[in-house]
Amino acid sequence: MANSIECGKEAAKHFAFAEGYRNLNHGSFGTFPTTIRDQLRHFQDQTEAKPDSFIRYAYPKLLDKSREVVAKYLNAPVETCVYIPNATTGINTVLRNLVYKQADVIIYFATIYGACEKSVSYITETTPAESYKIDSTKFTYPISDQRICQLFEEAIGSVKAAGKTPKLAIFDTIVSLPGVRMPFEALTALCKQHNVLSCIDAAHGIGHISLNLTTLDPDFFFSNCHKWLHVPRGCAVFYVPVRNQHLIRSTLPTSHGFAPLPIDGAGKVINNPMPPSGKSQYVSNFEYVGTLDGSPYICIPAALEWRSRLTWEGLRGEEAVMGYTRHLVVEAGKRVALRLGTEVLENEEGTLGKCNFANVLLPLKFSEIAGGDAGEAVRVAQWIAKVLVEEYETFIAIIVYADAWWVRLSGQVYLTVEDFVWGADVLREVCGRVVKGEWQQ
Amino acid sequence: MVLKRTESSTVGDAGGETMESIECGAEVAKEFAFRDGYRNLNHGSFGTYPTAIRSVLRHYQDEAEAKPDKFIRYDYPKLLDESREAVANYLNAPVSTCVFIPNATTGLNTVLRNMVYEPGDVIIYFATIYGACEKTVDYITETTPAESRKIEYSYPVSDQFLCDAFEEAVTAIKAAGKVPKLAIFDTIASLPGVRMPFEALTALCHKHNVLSCIDGAHGIGHIPLDLTALDPDFFFSNCHKWLHVPRGCAVFYVPERNQGLLRSTLPTSHGFVPLPKGEGGFVNNPLPPSGKSAYITNFEFVGTIDNSPYLCIPAALEWRSKLTWKGMKGEEAVMAYTHQLSREAGKTVASVLGTEVMENEEGTLGNCNLSNVRLPLSFGDIADDDHRKAVKVAQWIAKTLVEEYNTFIAIIFYGGAWWVRLSSQVYLTAEDFEWGAGVLKELCARVSTGEWMR
Repeated sequence: MANSIECGKEAAKHFAFAEGYRNLNHGSFGTFPTTIRDQLRHFQDQTEAKPDSFIRYAYPKLLDKSREVVAKYLNAPVETCVYIPNATTGINTVLRNLVYKQADVIIYFATIYGACEKSVSYITETTPAESYKIDSTKFTYPISDQRICQLFEEAIGSVKAAGKTPKLAIFDTIVSLPGVRMPFEALTALCKQHNVLSCIDAAHGIGHISLNLTTLDPDFFFSNCHKWLHVPRGCAVFYVPVRNQHLIRSTLPTSHGFAPLPIDGAGKVINNPMPPSGKSQYVSNFEYVGTLDGSPYICIPAALEWRSRLTWEGLRGEEAVMGYTRHLVVEAGKRVALRLGTEVLENEEGTLGKCNFANVLLPLKFSEIAGGDAGEAVRVAQWIAKVLVEEYETFIAIIVYADAWWVRLSGQVYLTVEDFVWGADVLREVCGRVVKGEWQQ
Repeated sequence: MVLKRTESSTVGDAGGETMESIECGAEVAKEFAFRDGYRNLNHGSFGTYPTAIRSVLRHYQDEAEAKPDKFIRYDYPKLLDESREAVANYLNAPVSTCVFIPNATTGLNTVLRNMVYEPGDVIIYFATIYGACEKTVDYITETTPAESRKIEYSYPVSDQFLCDAFEEAVTAIKAAGKVPKLAIFDTIASLPGVRMPFEALTALCHKHNVLSCIDGAHGIGHIPLDLTALDPDFFFSNCHKWLHVPRGCAVFYVPERNQGLLRSTLPTSHGFVPLPKGEGGFVNNPLPPSGKSAYITNFEFVGTIDNSPYLCIPAALEWRSKLTWKGMKGEEAVMAYTHQLSREAGKTVASVLGTEVMENEEGTLGNCNLSNVRLPLSFGDIADDDHRKAVKVAQWIAKTLVEEYNTFIAIIFYGGAWWVRLSSQVYLTAEDFEWGAGVLKELCARVSTGEWMR
């Protein structure tokens, strides 16, 4: 095996950040080491060297190899895994393919990702489906896993009591903002118990926490590889067990692989310019979905190989990566909370932080700073974000949640505790500036 | 038109106007990254771009990894707007009408999936519609009340024939008590690669109150386009095909009068504005506020992808402005060179094969960079009049070109014969097509011996 790389300062040398930039928000857009950049460029160069040769003939084989590798990584059968550009495409592919009857209900939580909630809105506007939001009047973090599960069962109960059908439930592995782990395994089991389709938004999933899709057995699952697997944007794995693949008739957009229903018994012959593939119709459908740069999809093997070289405290590979990032972010949360005189968002059982995020409260009084106005509070958050980028050479995700401002810290293999100690001082200074009213100018 | 630079950039030439010029043909060929003598005779499928543009692409990709949030949230939207301005200018369209999407397939899907159909609504399209587009129409007719009507015919036909056929279709639909809601047609059809009378068809759509949806996949950078004069209802064109921009990048034009019809991007994302409900729901949008219209903002961020290709438009246009041919410069040179080379290529290959170029009496089909030449193979003799066998023959030819001849030529079985579609380009010369003709002759001989069956 190639040279090992110790998490922290040594791993940091493998990344291409601008000098002095501290990326404390890996969670939003991810990034990848220079080794993977070189691999990406290698594939792009091969494409331009012989476009048709590469795209039509070489690429599908590389794509299959990548699918095999990612399926193995997730402990899923290879025929269940395809690639799509991102999680947003995943939720849209599921929601837009399903056929809804009157009184079908889509259940989701208040912490759903914004673009996903917009997608649900679009569906409820354009189809008979309705939605049921387990909203913030019902829960606000911190809250126990058990309470989440309880609220979920209550929601199902309410929907049924109203004479409607809970058709599908959307929930996260790890919520985006605030960045907290959800009891997704228990929720998936509850879905099975109550005959509700489980649609897991695991945007924050693969490469972040251990996943076993055979054990988990969701109905639909998608995860951004470009977030936590050190793969270039945009690349997400889309898992659909064979039993549900017939529900996903079309890719998004619809393309060559779509199989129209036979009309009058005679199938239409529509010219498909791509070479024939030997795979299932479902898998072939996702192989070509409009012309894009498909290079990120085939970087998975190289990314996993790179990660296998990482070490920390005698651990190696995935264990080292996940162990280090978890350990780091827990420490980070503590230090930042201490420096700010506030707290880390956590429930009594300590389950929210079982991931690479720590959410820390900012020492700003909602009523004083924003006069209790949600719109103003968002403006404060936007000002803080902009100032971090313009003056401090960093970025930290910030959200207005439950009448307070929270920052979401992302742990990563290229960061150390010192980065977050520094970040804590920056946040302290910036909060001081907010209190002085600078954000209003 | 100056490329956006940072201090750390080492991109391309210095400053705005440059004295450098590059002659179309062998000189331009040096600017591309083909390897091992690969002859790209099929630019039309996936396009490609010069190394100067590769540097620009990588520059933006490096900026994104140097400071991810800073670049994606704050710098990118400004660069995107500059690119939108450049492309809008190029197409003579208002900036407020132009956004970028990954490819034409997404464009057609965005239009068709957003439309609200009533029973009796009919989507009209032509037999030469791109395969993925026809699949999309099928998907729509399966999942909505819309029906479709396909205008069947076989090339070569005159432009007038197509216009008449279109008006007949519109009339027939109305006579049946239905509504011709939208018509899809190409600027230039894919396979065979022929120019359509899209200006006349658009005018007919106006006349008959049918929405015109132009698949300009082969459009921008290929033929001159003036969207203000053309005034279609919907138009999209792949910049990665003929504008020397990296994949995937397409411009999507929708005049303001129609923007209200496109409520959602594909996929739906942060910019979607839900209809107002009783209880106002506040949905967190994590992106910085933009000062633009809701429509434009909607298309600014549509799920995380590498958006760098969208930003390469200004640099691509600048690079093209340097090209020369016979005293012409820039777009004029590019289009004149490629059009004439295409005509010549068709003649040469047809002559060597002893067949013909697909053309109508008026000579309008070949007013583009594509020419289609029939292969000297008999459907009956080679494939026993079996369409599936014919497709296998085509697939064998394509594969053999790649594996043994270090080239690719698009091939289609059409109207009972095999046709190759030649794509001319600024990096090709007549000699490339003379060579190609020889290769095709040899391949056809091999097909005739039955090699494709083994």
